[in-house]
Amino acid sequence: MNVGRTVSDTRIRLAMTPMIDVVFLLLVFFVCTVRFERNEAVYTLDLPQRGLTADPLALQQRALVIRVGTRAADAVSIELQADGLRERPASFDALAAALTRVRRGTAPEPANTGLFLAEHPVLIAPTRECGWQDAVDAFNAAVRAGFRNIGFARSGT
Amino acid sequence: MKQALARISAIDADLTPLIDLAFLLIVFFVLVARMSGEQLPAIPLPKPTDVAATPAGTARRLAVNVLSEDGAVVFTLGGERFLADGSGLDRLASAIAQRLRSDPSVPVDIRADRSLAYRAVEPAIDAITAAAANVGTRVTIRVCALQGEGGAP
Repeated sequence: MNVGRTVSDTRIRLAMTPMIDVVFLLLVFFVCTVRFERNEAVYTLDLPQRGLTADPLALQQRALVIRVGTRAADAVSIELQADGLRERPASFDALAAALTRVRRGTAPEPANTGLFLAEHPVLIAPTRECGWQDAVDAFNAAVRAGFRNIGFARSGT
Repeated sequence: MKQALARISAIDADLTPLIDLAFLLIVFFVLVARMSGEQLPAIPLPKPTDVAATPAGTARRLAVNVLSEDGAVVFTLGGERFLADGSGLDRLASAIAQRLRSDPSVPVDIRADRSLAYRAVEPAIDAITAAAANVGTRVTIRVCALQGEGGAP
């Protein structure tokens, strides 16, 4: 009789503390191992490597320059400059279209007969007071157009 | 006698798992605070239309944050704050160089507030290039933006 009661008592007893302990351990483990995925994207800058020896035989290419001005009355002045080329796109979408037009096409798009290869250096030249958003918009337009070597010029150059 | 024993056992409390849990909670909050606060503070990053950038991913990176605090520009790197004056920028370049010496292959990301002017962000680019030249390594510099809606504020 006594034995039966003891067995039923042990069956209904639930030790919550070690269970919570293990749950928290698992939580800490996942927090440590899993990184928070932020909705961030990155553009790789092509900057001159100061202090390192440059290749003396490398061909000096004049960069395609995108001048971005200071925003006024919800509009920003954009100018695309290169040898024999000077355009003033009205928006960053128009800039991307203009850059796509001047880029020489490769395998997937051979019809594009622009002058500049995708590896041609592109320099974003914002004014000192130009907004960072506009500077990044210009960078994004160049990436959208398929250019790969894009950098920022020193302001005022 | 039996009733007396039962009363004693009823008030018996095992403190070990309680302390265990308390320490676990402390470790948890310390980890969360460090991860979310120091390296990648919530910054209103630029939001270009039709983003063509690549996702930042989860690989290790150095984040140089450019913030606007009450109209003043402040740089942060791994919880350290640097003012946008001569000595602050020298200290920032030294801090980046120190980290690059331990891992020269790590990319350096510029996370700047979209409301700032280019002149506020340019010193960060200069500090990174100066640090790379000081270490004598080629560094990968990346510019951070938001891809689409629903990211950081």
